[in-house]
Amino acid sequence: MNQPLILIIEDEEPLRRFLIPTLSSQRYQVLSAVTATEGLAMARSHNPDLVLLDLGLPDRDGMAVLKELRTWSRKPVVILSARNQECDKVRALDQGADDYLAKPFGAAELLARIRVALRHTLQADVAKPVMCSGGLRIDLEQREVSLEGRIVKLTALEYRLLEALVRRNGKVATHGQLLAEVWGPGGEGNTHYLRIYMAMLRRKLEADPTRPRHFITEPNVGYRLNLDAPGD
Amino acid sequence: MEAPLRPILVALGSEARALRLIQAGFRMARERAVPWIAVHVETGGPQLAEDDEQVQVWLQEAQRLGAEIAIVQAPTLAQGLSEVTRSTHAQALLLGRSGDRWPWARVGHSTADELQRRGLDTRIEVLDDRRGSPGPERRGTGFGAMVGTLSVLGACSGLAWLVPREGNISLVLPVYLAAVAFIAHRWGQGLAVLASVLSALLYSFLLETPRFSRVATHWPNLLFFLAMLLAAQAVVGLLHRLRQQAREVQRREVHTASLYLLGRALMRNHTSGQVADTAADHIRRVFKAEACLLFPEGSGWKALPAPSLDPDLPPPEELLPRLDVGERLGDPLEPLSMGQTYCLSLTGTDRSEGVLQVLPQGMAGLPPGTWELLKAFAVQIALTLERLRWLDEARKAQVQSETERMRSTLLGAIGHDLRTPLTAIHGAAGSLLLPGDISDSTRRDLLTMIQDESERLSHLLGNLLDLTRLESGAIQIQKEWQPLEEVVGSALGRMERRQGALPIRVVLPEGLPLAPLDAVLIEQVLVNLLTNAQRHAPGLEMDLRAWDEPGWIHLEVADRGPGIPAGFQDRIFDKFFRLPEAREGGVGLGLAICRAIVQAHGGRIHVEDRPGGGSSFRLALPLDGTPPAPPEGVL
Repeated sequence: MNQPLILIIEDEEPLRRFLIPTLSSQRYQVLSAVTATEGLAMARSHNPDLVLLDLGLPDRDGMAVLKELRTWSRKPVVILSARNQECDKVRALDQGADDYLAKPFGAAELLARIRVALRHTLQADVAKPVMCSGGLRIDLEQREVSLEGRIVKLTALEYRLLEALVRRNGKVATHGQLLAEVWGPGGEGNTHYLRIYMAMLRRKLEADPTRPRHFITEPNVGYRLNLDAPGD
Repeated sequence: MEAPLRPILVALGSEARALRLIQAGFRMARERAVPWIAVHVETGGPQLAEDDEQVQVWLQEAQRLGAEIAIVQAPTLAQGLSEVTRSTHAQALLLGRSGDRWPWARVGHSTADELQRRGLDTRIEVLDDRRGSPGPERRGTGFGAMVGTLSVLGACSGLAWLVPREGNISLVLPVYLAAVAFIAHRWGQGLAVLASVLSALLYSFLLETPRFSRVATHWPNLLFFLAMLLAAQAVVGLLHRLRQQAREVQRREVHTASLYLLGRALMRNHTSGQVADTAADHIRRVFKAEACLLFPEGSGWKALPAPSLDPDLPPPEELLPRLDVGERLGDPLEPLSMGQTYCLSLTGTDRSEGVLQVLPQGMAGLPPGTWELLKAFAVQIALTLERLRWLDEARKAQVQSETERMRSTLLGAIGHDLRTPLTAIHGAAGSLLLPGDISDSTRRDLLTMIQDESERLSHLLGNLLDLTRLESGAIQIQKEWQPLEEVVGSALGRMERRQGALPIRVVLPEGLPLAPLDAVLIEQVLVNLLTNAQRHAPGLEMDLRAWDEPGWIHLEVADRGPGIPAGFQDRIFDKFFRLPEAREGGVGLGLAICRAIVQAHGGRIHVEDRPGGGSSFRLALPLDGTPPAPPEGVL
C-alpha cells in the first residue's frame, strides 16, 4: 500500500519548514501549497489522503476553502488554528473538518491527530464493532459496554451518546453534532443536557470522573473519545 | 421603659431667614442630643412657584443636617404647627416671625401667641433677630393713599377739636405730628409733605380762635407750619434710612443664603456639565436670569447647559481679554454688559476658567445691587471649575505615571523573561549545528531544552495576550450552565498531559448544582492556580475543593507551600507583581489573569492563609440567572 499523501495548505514559511520534514520523516508523502487557490488546485489534481489547512490564508478565508473541498471530497481535513478561538474551531468542525490543532503544537501532537484522522478514513468502510481502550470495551454489535471486564448498564440515551462518540473514532464531536445525533433535530440549544449525560457516562465509565481518561473535554467545543487511553 | 426622646420642631417657610432657623434647630438638637424635625405648613393660600421651590431647598438642607421632614396641610400656620407639635410630642418649637404679616399681628395674634394659647406642653421659641421684614417702600400715588391721608388728617382735626382751646398749640401739635409721621410711614414722603401743609392750614382755619378769621401769615401759624414740615421731613428721612438698613440687612441675608446654597450644590458636582447646570439653575432662581457657561475645549469653546445666549456676542476668545483687563472699572470681575447680556470672566486663582453669560428675563436688566452677588457667584463657579480641572490633572498625572510604571515593568519583564528562553534556544540550536560530533545524550539534552524553553515562551506570550484581551474587553465571556466536574476535569487533564500525574486531591461533593461559566476561561483560572501551587510547593499535595451556597459556587485551590506574606495578599493579583523572594517562575501575570476572568464572571477571588501552613486561593462565582430545566428522567 502506498504511503498516505498529505497536502499542507499553509502560508507561513517557518511552519512549512517544520511540517514538511516532520511528516516526511514519518514516511508520509507531502505536498505543500502557500495560497488557497494553489491548495485547491493541488487537492483536485492529486486527491490527497489528508489536508492540513491553515485558517489564516493570504488570498481566501480557510473556512471557504474547507467548504469548497467538502463539495467534492470526503477526505479528512485537519485545521491549524490560532489558539483560543473556540468559535472558529466549532465552525470548522461543523463545516466538516475532522480535527483541529491549536498553534503552537508539538510534533507528537500533530502526528497523533494525523494518525487518528487517517485511521478514520481507512476504517470507514470496514465496520469495527468492538472498540477497546484502557480497560474500556465497547461492543456496538452486542450493544454491550464493559469496564475492566465488568458489564456496565447504560440508559438508552447514555448509550446513544457513547455510540455517537465511538463512531467518530477518536475525532472531536462538537456539542451541536452530538446534540443533533443523540436528541435529534431541535436539541441544539440544550448543551447542558449533553453535559449532564456526559457527567453520568463518566461516573459510570471513568475510574475518576474528575480525571477522565476516555471522555476528553474540548472546552467550549465538544468531546472526543480517547482511543489510546492508558490502562491501569 | 425609657420614654422616647422628644424632638425639636423647626417651622420653615420660604423666607431667606429659614437658613438661620435650620442652623438653630440643628444646634439645639445636637446640644440636647435629640432628633429634630423640619415642618412646613401648607395653608392652601396662593403660593408662588418660586416660593415652593425655595421651601424644597430649605427642606433638603434641613434633611442634609439630619432633620426629619414633615409637610402638613392646615388652614392656618398655628393650627398646623400645633397639630404636629402634639403628634410628635415635641419639646420645643422654633419659628421665625415673618409669617405674621401685619404689625399689629405681632402684638396680639402672632402665631407664637396663638400657639401659647393653645396650651401646648412645648417651649415655643421665636427666633427674633430684631430685623423684621421692612416690606417694600410705599409711594403715595394711589387714590386710596390720598383718601387715607385726608381721613387721617380729618380724624386728627376732630381729635384736636376736642382739646380745650385757648391757644394750646402744645397739645394739638403732637396729634398732628403723629398723624404726619404715620402718613409718612404708610404712604411716603410726597403725601407726608402735603399732610404737613394741610395740617398747618387746618390748624389755622379750624382750631385757632376765633375760627376762620386768621390768615396763615400770622407768625405762630407760620411757625406751626414750618415745624410740621420739618417734622414730616425728619420722620420721612428717618424711616427711609431705617428701611434702607433693614433692606440691606435682608438683602445680605438673602445673598449669603443663596451663596451658601450655591456653594453646597457646587460641591457635589463632578463634571463641568454638572457645574453649568447647577450654576444656571441657581442664577435663574436668584436673579431671574438665564445663564450659560462657556468653557475652552480643545481648540474651540463649549457652551453649557445651553448654546450661547446671544449669538451676536463676540466669541469668548475675544471677550476674555476684555474681561480680564476689566474694561469697565479695571476690576477683572466686573461684569461687562453687552446689549442685554452680561458677561463675566470665571477667574479662579491662577487663570480664567471660562465665561459666564447672564441674560435677565425682564427688560430692566439686573438691579445694580445684585452685581456684587453675581460676582460672588462667578467666583464660586470659577473655583469649582478650577477644583475640577486640578482633580482632572492630578488623575491624568496618576494614570500617566501608572502607565509609565506598567510600561517599564513590562519592558523589564519582557527583557528578562523573553530574552532568557530565546537565548537558550538560539544557543542550543547553534551548538547542534556546529560541525563535529555531539554525543546522543548531549543532543537530546539540547533538544529537550529547546522544547522546554519554547514552551515557556509560548506560555508567557499566551498570558500576555490573554490579559490584554481580557482587559480590553476583546474576550467575550460565554457562560454556559455546566457541571463543575467537567471544567475541573479538563483543567486537570491539561495539567497532567503536560507534566504527568500530579498529587492533586479533588473533592467535589455529589449534587453540586450546574454553574453558569465560561469553561475555557475557568479552566485557565484553575490551571494558573494549580501551576502556582505546584511551583511554590513542588511535590507537595494540593487540594481542589468546591462547595455551594445559595446564589454562589465556591472553588478552592490550596497548597502546603510557604504561603503569602502578610501585606501582599491583595497585591499578588496585580499585573507583574511578584513576591520579593519569588523563585524562578512566572512573570506575575497568572493571578492577574485569574482575577480578570473571575471578575468578568461577576465573581470574587482572594487568598488566605491555610490552617496548618500554605495558602488557599478561593474563588466565588455567582449562580445568576435561572438554571435550565434538567433533561427528563434526570434529577
